[in-house]
Amino acid sequence: MNSRERVLAVLAGRTPDTVPIIPVLDGYYAPRVIDRPNDECFLDGACMAEALAAAFDRFGYDGALAEMGLGSEPNVLGCPVEVEGHDVPLVVGTVVDEPADIDRIGVPDPWADGKMEPVERLVELVGSRGVVLGSVRSPFEYAATVRGLYEFMTDFYRDPRFVQELIEAVKPATVAVGRALAAAGADAIVLKDSFASCSMISPEHYLEFAWPAEAEAIGELKSFAPVILHICRNSMPILAEMARTGADALEIDSPVDLARAREAAGSGVILKGNIDAAEVIGKGTAADVAAAVKEAMEAARGAGGFILSTGDSIPVFAPEENIKALVEAGREYGKYEN
Amino acid sequence: MNELLERFKQAIIAGDADASAGLAEEIRAAAEAKPDDIFEYLSAAMDVVGGKYETGEYFIPEMLRSAEAVEKAMAVLEPYMFEHKHEQSGVVVMGTVKGDIHNIGKNIIVSALRADGYEVHDLGVNVSTDKFIDKIREVEPDLLMLSAFTTSTKPALIDIIRRLEEEGLRDRVKVISGGASHSAELAREVGVDGFASDVKSSLAVTRRLMGR
Ligand code: B12
Repeated sequence: MNSRERVLAVLAGRTPDTVPIIPVLDGYYAPRVIDRPNDECFLDGACMAEALAAAFDRFGYDGALAEMGLGSEPNVLGCPVEVEGHDVPLVVGTVVDEPADIDRIGVPDPWADGKMEPVERLVELVGSRGVVLGSVRSPFEYAATVRGLYEFMTDFYRDPRFVQELIEAVKPATVAVGRALAAAGADAIVLKDSFASCSMISPEHYLEFAWPAEAEAIGELKSFAPVILHICRNSMPILAEMARTGADALEIDSPVDLARAREAAGSGVILKGNIDAAEVIGKGTAADVAAAVKEAMEAARGAGGFILSTGDSIPVFAPEENIKALVEAGREYGKYEN
Repeated sequence: MNELLERFKQAIIAGDADASAGLAEEIRAAAEAKPDDIFEYLSAAMDVVGGKYETGEYFIPEMLRSAEAVEKAMAVLEPYMFEHKHEQSGVVVMGTVKGDIHNIGKNIIVSALRADGYEVHDLGVNVSTDKFIDKIREVEPDLLMLSAFTTSTKPALIDIIRRLEEEGLRDRVKVISGGASHSAELAREVGVDGFASDVKSSLAVTRRLMGR
């Protein structure tokens, strides 16, 4: 099996030759692989696609993560974004300051200003060998982004209706971006709902505000491509609900025990995770990485589908040896005997 | 009076801004409480709130709700404190350093400091060294409090300390840093006077450096 067949097998519910490996190596890390500063690649989609493809080739994992470039998703809704040097892009302004501003939210055109070109380019570069994942924010996360996370979370108690209406208003954006990603050639869609994590909000608030729109969006996105639901840090208390959204796969972060995650989520859903991106890949040694991979494989390789991954984005300061070690150990411990 | 202050404290902990503002009105009308006592109850409340977050009973929205209850109460009580010639705990300039836009933790500390009787000048996020220096010259604070959450902000912290030295301001202001990925090691490396990474230790370190 080549990389592409391996991932597609898991997504189709079949057992591959070995556990596929798709770390969350995105536009924050990739530019350094081709010695370019982040701002250059975020401003120039061809540069970004080249960087992501170069990382895919250098490390030999099975799927690449596409970036829409500066003006990635927050920008499609009009949020100003800035990027400087090796930094990450910052959302530097908000769009919705009061309920009346909700009228400003329209359905964005993800194809405007060449925003999908980097995705199409990445598909050209790696799509015949590996898979390409495209990512989009959930309605809950879009709402937090256009409002500003601090104000948004203050609204939970101050004005819950405002929260609901805002989430409703941005839902079409999630669906539009997801549709465009699939049309540009992405094999699966990562739905990011980071702020829904129990490291941020209570399980009750997750169910009240985030879950309904998340589940509805997943219902629509699944008609375009398989959906991977990403909720980082602690998602343990809500894993069963996450599985209930109908997502094909759940991306699990390092604070969650994979064996317990499998128990909570059931056997019908693929798990993707959960090596600690900041502490193990970022600050650990290659031996630490190998040990973490071995442990993850033992916990999750058996029942249901598994994709080896980091739990979250690989930080810019991570040594290359550690990403190499992730793939090497993944191959060593990932084989299925048949 | 203590019973009223206790109810006030509970309203802050519960994050009930209407109740905390209403009770603040009562406290003002009764005109009995000493500002020091009010601050004692307020900061004790934020201590409890921080503790509930650490133990997982509260999440971020619950902490923000309490911070808002403090802000609403302070809006009512500020003139009262002034009339009663309260001696401030100190003057603080605070902000999140250049290249960093995390503001939730910073805002909570701003509220906790106000609750502890400080005059706080909050410069917001992504604040340049120049902006910090200008504000320090303007308000001559006792404390400069820097939020820095990502590892990549280390150069920004170092830059601020260097500029304070160059401008001859370093011995006129104590510098405290804080944020999610802070460690004693980082604090030592950049040369700040103290650091903290939760509400309780933030209040403790500011009190210690103010000699309170
Ligand atoms: C919410 C969040 C965001 C939001 C911020 C929204 C906002 N308005 O603030 C968004 C999505 C925008 C964001 C963006 C990014 N983030 Co962020 N974010 C977080 C997250 C999940 C929670 C932060 C938070 O609000 N916590 C709740 C508050 C209450 O806690 P706190 O911030 O720690 O504050 C407390 C104390 O630190 C202290 N304190 C705070 N300030 C000060 C100051 C002083 C003087 C003192 C004494 C004390 C003190 O008191 C507070 C009260 O308890 C953390 C993860 C985490 N576990 O902290 C990551 C985290 C801080 N982010 C991180 C990263 C890497 C990023 C990004 C680079 C991600 C990316 N790849 O895009 C960008 C960078 C943006 C930038 N350059 O600023 C990393 C930093 C890692 C590192 N070592 O560098 C973290 C730790 C996540 C991780 N483990 O990887 N993020």
